[in-house]
Amino acid sequence: MLTSRNRRLLAAAALAAVVVAVAAVASSSGGQPAATIAKSTLFRGIPEQHGVLGDPRAPVTVTEYVDLQCPVCAAAARETLPTLVRDYVRTGKAKLDVRTLSFIGPDSQRAARFAAGAAGQGRLWPFLEAFYASQGQENSGYVTDEHLRSVAAAAGVDAGAALEYADSAAAQEPLNRANADAQRLGIDSTPTFTVARGDAEPHVLPAHEARSVAAAIDAELGR
Amino acid sequence: MSARAASAAVAVIGLGIAGYLTAVHFAGGTPACAVAHGCATVQQSKYAELAGVPVALLGLLGYAGVLASLARDGESARTVTAFLSLAGFGFSGWLTYVEVARLDAICSWCVASAVCMTLLAVLSVARLVCDATPARA
Repeated sequence: MLTSRNRRLLAAAALAAVVVAVAAVASSSGGQPAATIAKSTLFRGIPEQHGVLGDPRAPVTVTEYVDLQCPVCAAAARETLPTLVRDYVRTGKAKLDVRTLSFIGPDSQRAARFAAGAAGQGRLWPFLEAFYASQGQENSGYVTDEHLRSVAAAAGVDAGAALEYADSAAAQEPLNRANADAQRLGIDSTPTFTVARGDAEPHVLPAHEARSVAAAIDAELGR
Repeated sequence: MSARAASAAVAVIGLGIAGYLTAVHFAGGTPACAVAHGCATVQQSKYAELAGVPVALLGLLGYAGVLASLARDGESARTVTAFLSLAGFGFSGWLTYVEVARLDAICSWCVASAVCMTLLAVLSVARLVCDATPARA
């Protein structure tokens, strides 16, 4: 015969097991890449050279440190970038640069190398936006050639040429540069924005909300 | 020290850890870690939220619930403590599996919380089943 306490323990354990099972299933669901990726007009008409978006003569440079698998980076692309593009890039006050880190895993590396190929075609920013829109489960191996081709199609990138570039030794250079710059500036999380006027040393911003980045740009413009 | 007092001490530590992780989550940052460290990977993964609720906040509520259940010493209160601790232990185990097997990253804060939940599970089960002290209704 079970004692009252043992019955209570069994009931608590059984209920806990059910709760954990439901939570685990809910936690695992979702996160797969979108079947189709919508084309965006956010960057339409804005010049891009060597991965830098905007007027090359813009006085302020905003650099974003990202990992393409990072969901917060995807959120920043949705919530922060449109304001910056509208108010500062299109008006010629600032230009946007990016450093693609790859600390989350192999899928980040593959995506970053492909991004380098997209940058060579002047389509880095549309590629980043389309990639974020199709983020899958981290390190699940979802960044396949097929996946990159679908992202490239939405971003207007020549997928064949970008894949060829991604497999070349040259594609590693932007990754090395991103890591070196992040280490030099003490950047240890993504997304992180830096703001610099001209060739001055960049300021690392503590937050990535649009108003914080905008305030930093305004401060540089007011100097 | 009684199992009840030990549980309260562990729950307070867990509450602090979960509170820090919740604050970091809502601040939009990542826990203090180096670039190559797993904290950022875990915090930014889809597993950091459950149905839109940060798991750090769930942990915070779980530890608060454990502390609240420890305020009384009846068998019902002990059962609630055991349920919360076992559920927390099981979910922590699941998240640790996710870190190792799916994310290939370990978050030291999450491991510390998993250790707290493990201790709470052991203490609460012992308190419910083995504690010779008569439970007050």
